[in-house]
Amino acid sequence: MNNFIFDVLTDGPLYESTFRLAAILAFAAAGEWVAERAGTINISIEAMLLGGHFGAAIAFTASQNFGVAIVVGGLAGMAIAALQAWLSHFLTADQFGIGLTLNILLLGLAAFLQPSFDLNTRLAGVLSIPLLSQIPLVGPALFGQRWPMYLIYGLVPLSWWLVARTNWGLEVRAVGEDPQSADVSGIHVNARRRQAILYAGLLSGIGGAVYLFGQVGRFESSNIGGKGIIAIAAVIFGGWTLRGAVAGCLLFGYVDALRLNLPTILGYSLNSQLLASLPFLATVIVMMLFAKLTRQPVALARPFVRGLK
Amino acid sequence: MSVFWHSALRRPKFGRDQQELALLYLACLAFSLLLAMLLIHLSGSSWTRAVNALVDGAFQNPGRWGETLRRTAPLLVVATGSVVATRAGIINIGQEGQLLIGAMGGAFILTLVQPGSPLMLLLGLAVGGTAGAAWAGIAGALWYWRRVPIVLSTLLLVYLSSQIAAYTLTRGELLLNVVPGEPNRLLLSAKVAPESRLGIVQIFGNRFPLSVPVALATALVFGWVLARTTWGFRLKALGLNPRTAQRAGIPGVRYGMSAILVSGATAGLAGSMMLAGGESQYKFSSGFASNVGWDGLLVALVARNSPLVAIPVALVFAALRSGSTFLSVAGIEAVLVDVVRGLLVVALFIPPAISELRRKRRAAAQLTERT
Amino acid sequence: MQFSKAGNFGEGAQAPSPIVSLKSITKTYGALKACDDVSMVLHPGRIHGILGQNGAGKSTLMKILIGLVGPDSGEIRVGGDPVRVSSPQHAADLGIGMVHQHFSLVDALTVWENVVLGDRSARLDSRRARELVSMIGDRYGLDIDPDANVGQLTAGQRQRVEIIKCLRRSPRVLIFDEPTSVLTMEESKQLFAVLRQVVRNEGATVALVSHRLGEVLESADDVVIMRDGRVIAEMPTSGTTPDELAQAMVGRKVRLRSSDAHHMRRSTRTNHVEVVLRMSDVSVASRRGGVDLDGLSLTVRAGEIVGVAGAEGNGQRVLVDVLSSLRGVTSGTIEVAGTVVETGRAGAMAAAGVGVVPEDRHDSGCVLDMTVAENLVLTSIDQMSSRGALNFSAIRESAQQMIQQFGISCPSPDVPMWTLSGGNQQRVVLARELSTKPKLLVAAQPTRGLDVSAIEYMGNRLREAANDGVGVLLISSELDEILHLSDRIVVIYKGAIIGETPNDAVDMARLGLLIGGVA
Repeated sequence: MNNFIFDVLTDGPLYESTFRLAAILAFAAAGEWVAERAGTINISIEAMLLGGHFGAAIAFTASQNFGVAIVVGGLAGMAIAALQAWLSHFLTADQFGIGLTLNILLLGLAAFLQPSFDLNTRLAGVLSIPLLSQIPLVGPALFGQRWPMYLIYGLVPLSWWLVARTNWGLEVRAVGEDPQSADVSGIHVNARRRQAILYAGLLSGIGGAVYLFGQVGRFESSNIGGKGIIAIAAVIFGGWTLRGAVAGCLLFGYVDALRLNLPTILGYSLNSQLLASLPFLATVIVMMLFAKLTRQPVALARPFVRGLK
Repeated sequence: MSVFWHSALRRPKFGRDQQELALLYLACLAFSLLLAMLLIHLSGSSWTRAVNALVDGAFQNPGRWGETLRRTAPLLVVATGSVVATRAGIINIGQEGQLLIGAMGGAFILTLVQPGSPLMLLLGLAVGGTAGAAWAGIAGALWYWRRVPIVLSTLLLVYLSSQIAAYTLTRGELLLNVVPGEPNRLLLSAKVAPESRLGIVQIFGNRFPLSVPVALATALVFGWVLARTTWGFRLKALGLNPRTAQRAGIPGVRYGMSAILVSGATAGLAGSMMLAGGESQYKFSSGFASNVGWDGLLVALVARNSPLVAIPVALVFAALRSGSTFLSVAGIEAVLVDVVRGLLVVALFIPPAISELRRKRRAAAQLTERT
Repeated sequence: MQFSKAGNFGEGAQAPSPIVSLKSITKTYGALKACDDVSMVLHPGRIHGILGQNGAGKSTLMKILIGLVGPDSGEIRVGGDPVRVSSPQHAADLGIGMVHQHFSLVDALTVWENVVLGDRSARLDSRRARELVSMIGDRYGLDIDPDANVGQLTAGQRQRVEIIKCLRRSPRVLIFDEPTSVLTMEESKQLFAVLRQVVRNEGATVALVSHRLGEVLESADDVVIMRDGRVIAEMPTSGTTPDELAQAMVGRKVRLRSSDAHHMRRSTRTNHVEVVLRMSDVSVASRRGGVDLDGLSLTVRAGEIVGVAGAEGNGQRVLVDVLSSLRGVTSGTIEVAGTVVETGRAGAMAAAGVGVVPEDRHDSGCVLDMTVAENLVLTSIDQMSSRGALNFSAIRESAQQMIQQFGISCPSPDVPMWTLSGGNQQRVVLARELSTKPKLLVAAQPTRGLDVSAIEYMGNRLREAANDGVGVLLISSELDEILHLSDRIVVIYKGAIIGETPNDAVDMARLGLLIGGVA
């Protein structure tokens, strides 16, 4: 048993897998964190990830340029976010219904359009940071990835800075806690909410693109499969703090990494369905243990119309 | 009785507001259809061929009406359950998983008990409904006990359910149908015992299982229950204003849980009825749900949460599904209907949202009049 | 830190305040004329009192001045120039600031964050913001810690934050909307001192909107009286008596302490026998640590009206929630008509015979999206059905009866609740609660937001209920209301009842001390 624990803790590939998934989750989670601080819940994060994933594939096929493709991915995510934002926070369509519909729509759209594009994509080059990537165990995981993955190191702090250190972020927080007071103070409540959702779309779109060029290399509409939902769970698990959300992403990433690496560590195959269930099971269990302790933005998921509480 | 119809159809008067709403609906529908035509064109096909294929597949060709009706049944049942949950203010979006678990539970009785019997059919359906209810109940318990948001837990449970279903199909002692001498390339269950199958109705050359009248009855019954019973009344109060409801003595946990269980049971029943009614040749597979759960949710959304309106909406969605089987023959991806569906629903969200916004603005102006 | 166009903050000599004049302002909401051809002039260096009952139009007028609402017709001039105030931001640019009645503060943020909320700058400079808070605080005697979390502050402290937030923009015209509704008497005195300083030292203009005669007389230089959307009278406060003002406010001869009420109270005193409510040492733990109710003990007898006086935020809401089965107690017992009732279980209090007219009817008094009839039968739905199926004719009949009995004005019982006016909505709630023949009726801020006739109606209804033998627990932050209606007055402070007095010879000074927490 001790041997097993030792193996699990010292398995380099395990850490690499952990970081790979955690990073993708973190793109979506950081974005959704900002959106939830503004008081919105967007289950269409899933669609935004997929949109970025697909958009980047198409853009790369056309331009064979990673930079262009990642930007296009971000824009695709924003386009979907725009639909969610406008329908739910300008009109008053239910944000869960819209989120669900967008997910279904995107999935169908991607599956439908895929054959029309002769997609030609590949993985980006590995960029090992000298010295840092030599750190035992975590070095290769954190600093020996393909270069698009490193974008997360900039975007997470950026998200924090936006919310904690700018006026925009202060207003976003006010809007999520007490939109009535924010409104009276002269803040455009729904405009801030829409902007926060657009930001989430941008980050998730980039995340989808990074997933393509940093991990899978080939587009399949089933690639995203639930990562958006887990990202939302990470935000809740983290108590609506960015640190907590990142911790959640690492946790869920670790569980998924176990799924991939446990057979090789153990030397035999575990039940494949059990392994595939692990991330979702872990999410449910973690939420069960921690959801009660967290502090949510008071106005979360409550649509705002002036004059009504 | 007139009050029943009134509340179910939301008092259709034809005043200026209603005219505006109708125009908005038409405009949005037209726009989404245009988008769909554009997409079809982009993918290199002709939209006229697509429409012809759909119409042929849904109604035109002999026997296709029956196919459409067969597909309407589970959509309608799922939608009805979804309406119940929404009435109570509960966001259950895990019907796809609840349906699958229900079909799986039913499969244990329906496929494994050979020879079957009508009693086994009933038992199978009951087990299916109970299994679906239990699966939804997990999400309910997690909310009332540990404050895990239902919208998230039901979604996560969908992913879990497909793993569980897949698992049962890998074991011969569970649902996997092991044919001696043949390698198991397809992970399928045995066929439902012939005596345990739902009866088939045959009208004018169209064949459809008894699940159709059952679904219709379910929609009508729940429409009545929601409008005309104390349970439905309390559920409505709970969904509209939980704090007032609690002041008025309505226990939130009990009523909320009952709504969740009903919505899960209907999904589970829909799944087991699909199996007993001939879906995928009476064999259970891990992909059995085939998006019926998701579609059922969309039906409920489009039907503005009225079981009666869900009937024609479910029919339209079912027509798209049965029509889509003819699309590949015309050289078009069957996935097209998923896209059309999605576009339609998004478009249909807009008109009521606009009128709701107007109404809320008017109400807000009224409420602030005396401060 | 932004310097508003209206003046430089912190400098010595300042430009004279502009005269603000409102001419023929009219605002109509549907059939109601909230403001009807209102004209007034606000002069610099003076505190103007704007006096009127709820519904007189004064709050609407101020909302127009501050840019939250647009007038239908009329003209506003600032410093002689006609302006159209398009938003609160624009009003701030013009030098007009408002300290709101229900504060516009975000609980989850700190003091300095709230003060700079709504600022136009891009970067958030926390150091300068903190300095700003301290500077303004020192200058005006508004002591507050910039890093404190607003959610933890008392009502008086929150008001200070609200005032600092307003003063930051260096307004030349300051509007205070019902500022003392949440303050103790001591805190009110401190507030008026601040106002006087702002006016004398800065030469600013202050408009004090209120329905409380006493405080307007004490703090304002002159008073404008509004009624039914119109300006009725204007006069300096130094020559006037409270009775004169009251008469102008209400439009007929009123005695502030109605002798009829006295008479009614005395005659029913002999009926005070059965104890309908006995709360013994009730404590309710707060979700944020600490306690919301702290050993609260209270009795109400059949036929008497017990008024619970006290500034808002001293546990009244929790008290009402407990009596509505919305919250459970952590210790102590509650007996209704002699039987101990389980707290926190939905419907237990109602079943025991407790009716509640809650403070915020939209939040928890009625279901806005249901019809009037549905709201009326909400608690008695079981009686309107047979074996689970609703009996619509019984519902309709019962609703019609209640509509008639309580004079609810609505085109039909099937219209949605949100189409009714505030006063009628309150009648629906009252009708529903009284129709269950409760032993105890809890009325929390029952006349808030209602116009004069509705207030009168509610008062009469409560009196009638008491005469019929119902025990009434009246919870209100309006001292006038308590004094007008109660047989016995208790004072709530920090979650406990700290004093009591019968209502025939009230020592106002002592009452004031009690409300301020001095037992």
